[in-house]
Amino acid sequence: MRPHRRFAQLDVFANRPGAGNPLAVVVDSDGIDDQAMQAFANWTNLSETTFLLPPTIPGASYRVRIFTPRQELPFAGHPSVGSAHAALEAGLALPGDRRLVQECAAGLLPIRVDGDGEARRIFVRAPRGRVVPIEVDPASWRGVLDGLARGPLPPALVDNGPRWWLVELNDENAVRAGTPDLAAIAQLTEATDAVGLAVFARCDNRDYQVVVRAYCPADGIPEDPVTGSANAAIAAWLLHNQALPAPCYTASQGREIGRDGFVHVEVDDGGDVWIGGQTRTVVTGTLDW
Amino acid sequence: MNISATRRFYQVDVFSARAGVGNPLAVVLDAEGLDDGQMQAIASWANLAETTFVLPPTTPEAHYRVRIFTTRQEIAFAGHPSIGTAHAVLAAGLAAPESGLLVQECRAGLLPVQRRNPGATSTLSVRVPRSRIVRFADGGDELLWRALGGCAMGRLAPGLVEGGRRWWLAELADEQTVRSLQPELLSIRDLAGQTQSLGLCVFARTPDQPYDLVVRAFPLGVGIDEDPASGAANAAIAAFLEEAGALDTLGDSYIVSQGREMARDAQLLVHLDPDRNVWVGGQCQTVIRGELRW
Repeated sequence: MRPHRRFAQLDVFANRPGAGNPLAVVVDSDGIDDQAMQAFANWTNLSETTFLLPPTIPGASYRVRIFTPRQELPFAGHPSVGSAHAALEAGLALPGDRRLVQECAAGLLPIRVDGDGEARRIFVRAPRGRVVPIEVDPASWRGVLDGLARGPLPPALVDNGPRWWLVELNDENAVRAGTPDLAAIAQLTEATDAVGLAVFARCDNRDYQVVVRAYCPADGIPEDPVTGSANAAIAAWLLHNQALPAPCYTASQGREIGRDGFVHVEVDDGGDVWIGGQTRTVVTGTLDW
Repeated sequence: MNISATRRFYQVDVFSARAGVGNPLAVVLDAEGLDDGQMQAIASWANLAETTFVLPPTTPEAHYRVRIFTTRQEIAFAGHPSIGTAHAVLAAGLAAPESGLLVQECRAGLLPVQRRNPGATSTLSVRVPRSRIVRFADGGDELLWRALGGCAMGRLAPGLVEGGRRWWLAELADEQTVRSLQPELLSIRDLAGQTQSLGLCVFARTPDQPYDLVVRAFPLGVGIDEDPASGAANAAIAAFLEEAGALDTLGDSYIVSQGREMARDAQLLVHLDPDRNVWVGGQCQTVIRGELRW
């Protein structure tokens, strides 16, 4: 008889169900082998599925393994925020804990918890972003920027684990109304070993100061609803150019594909980028796998 | 409306003898109070081929009503959602079969679901709306031939069938040809668009296996490269073979293997009843059981 494991499907970077990026979390993952984890992450068909385990390193609050439908990842943003939420909800970490340490394949990562209840925001420190000096064959750019109203910053390739192409656009409308050439983006990202291309614009809105869209067509994801690592890369790029709207700001992402996510970004005194947000628990139950 | 209402939720593996080898389906029970936009948003968020919503029937002949959504739109009928929904309805005790029969109300009408062998290995089969051959392919169907990439063909010419939705069906020479096929997906996508069909299904007879037919389905018309287990497509293949007079080696009840090329291992049961209606079914496994808050 297989055990019934606690399971949750969460909406991350969401202040209401359906606004964010879904994540499946298996809470009691002891005894699931690598292959069974990969098979389940393929079966859920979500961009990521995580598995919570007891920590193996002193000082860690819990251990998480992160899988896409195709492979295990050392780290990713929305799975880390969601997994910390699930660990708190399941009592693996104490609700009073404001600082957690997540053990994942990328090492120990600090997590910060702000607020309580539905307003609770969980932040994870993203791996430090590095601007990649790169000469790109102009042919690889063909079509990518056509028809886009560019902003002041030049396009850049930033590596914070994954590599993201970042293109600043002129204003919010240019980001929201843009219809990018996905085939051209796929060519560019494949030629430069990037996971995707994100467009963004600084804006002056009551609820958010940056608007973002992220495209990963070469990875089978035409547009990602709400993206932790891309937002962390954008913050690193803005910091690099001394162009941050503020040390703490909010990004809006996902409206164009029927979501409405908010990513809270903080750049600390040491120049590290933290990304965070609210999480909604949509499904709770048990898993028989 | 109470927006924080909890509803019973199942995620079921359909056409599978063990968890994980079939086609997943999300089922929301107690769906009263969700409007069309919310159902579509849940289905889009769940990101499975289909998500279903179970409602009280609107007619006394039916045991329950189901609405079926892909990530993009509501559809009138599909096979794996019907089987998985019936499984969830029975698992939750929402309905009891009469003489093994449940009646499902959906946009395609009232459809009977038959349960056999109650217990751990019980199977469910649904009677599928009839498909008909629209036409056979000829040399002019360039996209189809390009999609097939010159692979060895079987007895029948490929055909376009229609049964609510349309599929191109192609019999290939043998199991190995089906399993090793690397179809040209862009051609299937264009073919689907040009002929308002879901895409292409290939199949071959497998005389020396514990199953009788091997099937692969490429529904590029709905943005999916390959489907691990396809109810309505398998029913369309059965109707195609019967109309073409080519069921001979299979008989009126046969077993299909599908999904191994994508690391699944689904098994489907196909049956033609005395009225020549096609039933398709199999086993289901409850993988996730819980509550949904939307």
